[in-house]
Amino acid sequence: MNDYLEVRNLSKSFDGFQLRDITFTLPKGYIMGLIGPNGSGKTTTIKLILNMLKRTGGEVKILGFDNITHEQEAKRNLGVVFDSNYFSDEWKISQVEKSVSAFYENWNTQKFSEALKRFHIQPSKKVKELSKGMQMKLMLACAFSYDAKLLILDEPTSGLDPVSRDELLNILSEYIEDGEHSVLFSTHITGDLERAADYITYISYGELFFSGGKDEFIDGFRIVKGGREELSADLGKKMLGIRNFSTGFEALVKTEDLKQFVHLNVEPATIDDIVVFTSKRGEQYE
Amino acid sequence: MSNIWKSVKLDFSLVKPYVKTICFTMVLPVIFAAINRSLLTGISFAMCFIAMTTGYTFSITEKNSMERLYGILPIRKSDMVIGRYIFIIIMGLTALIFSLIAHPVILTILGESIGIVDYISAAVIGIFLFALYTVFQLPGYYKLGSIKGRVFMYIPVAGFLITLLLITKSPVGESKLLFTIFNSPVLLMLLTIIFVIVMYIVSILVSIKILKNKEA
Repeated sequence: MNDYLEVRNLSKSFDGFQLRDITFTLPKGYIMGLIGPNGSGKTTTIKLILNMLKRTGGEVKILGFDNITHEQEAKRNLGVVFDSNYFSDEWKISQVEKSVSAFYENWNTQKFSEALKRFHIQPSKKVKELSKGMQMKLMLACAFSYDAKLLILDEPTSGLDPVSRDELLNILSEYIEDGEHSVLFSTHITGDLERAADYITYISYGELFFSGGKDEFIDGFRIVKGGREELSADLGKKMLGIRNFSTGFEALVKTEDLKQFVHLNVEPATIDDIVVFTSKRGEQYE
Repeated sequence: MSNIWKSVKLDFSLVKPYVKTICFTMVLPVIFAAINRSLLTGISFAMCFIAMTTGYTFSITEKNSMERLYGILPIRKSDMVIGRYIFIIIMGLTALIFSLIAHPVILTILGESIGIVDYISAAVIGIFLFALYTVFQLPGYYKLGSIKGRVFMYIPVAGFLITLLLITKSPVGESKLLFTIFNSPVLLMLLTIIFVIVMYIVSILVSIKILKNKEA
């Protein structure tokens, strides 16, 4: 099996929000970043993958298993880290292992101890005594202990200090080194993607904007800059987002449309640029 | 180990830090038994009190957002629900056994004599009261959570009063069948146990349906 995660035409309707036809695949051995502005549907997508929300349409396969009809099989090799701890805060670390290990046939106590040691987590401590970063590492230690093939993280770096963020991204990069593990993580910190992601899936206002390689994503867009007199209505139609200044403008365009903008200054776009400009849905803003 | 048993163990580890509080709940009715010099009163209070502590698992789960942990574990939702019911029934039985030992000791010290019929009737009524509370409470907790779900606790009280009213004020109260049942302790106990089992089966099915339709 080459794809550890397959999401096809995933849809979900809420009052006032719709997630429509989200399709992407995550091959084994890679890290995918799930990005989008707040409220765009990242967490909804993750909860649908985990069958914690009922989908309106589409299908999800985790390691080849349907996430609803073969939920148990799908979750046996799945590790999940949320933005905050999901263990009882009164549990000691040793109690966490006792409570969770029973559910995983391939749980390895030695691996758990090694992970705790590596992450500097004392087994005698209570969950509530750990910092947010340490709680994140505890969830990771659990996933490593049963050798979860696919790791899903929902905004793991939000609320972490730069050192902890860097450490977490290092851990994720090491985790996929053997080519047998994959990671999907949602984030709105684009610096994390530049550091760790191989693939990017970008959801904007409930719709899939892009899913593919990170380099393809960045190369697919350019920033063009010019004076006000150089901005025509025809050019405006080709711009995905524009920012006006008193002296001129800057806009995001697709690289394939670049030949129409050769008379302007062209610069590479960053992931931040792409997200910020496209999130404005092409509206002009001062 | 079956998934149901794993779920029971997980629930036990949830309430483990609160065992002292739960034990206190079991000790308090001993005083009621002593004041009223009645095993039946003591057991009834004990089982009602312990039924009230069944919300602990739900409160702890909510407090720690543990529905996310339950959401990622490789276990069927029906196994989680059955596991929780078994855990709560174990809690109830533990309280019953403790009360059936502790209360008679106190009552004997106070000079009361307790016969085998007292033991059996107190145990059956205790089981019935505990079941009556929990079969309504648990689906309520699954549906509305540990705070709002408490309102379901009053359903048995209202139901009991209505039934009492119906029996005393209507021709049902003069029914020969009811007369026969109430005058045959063995039959009454047997029917109570069957009724408790049926109530739990229905309650479990309702809770499974609620949990399957619930979105985290």
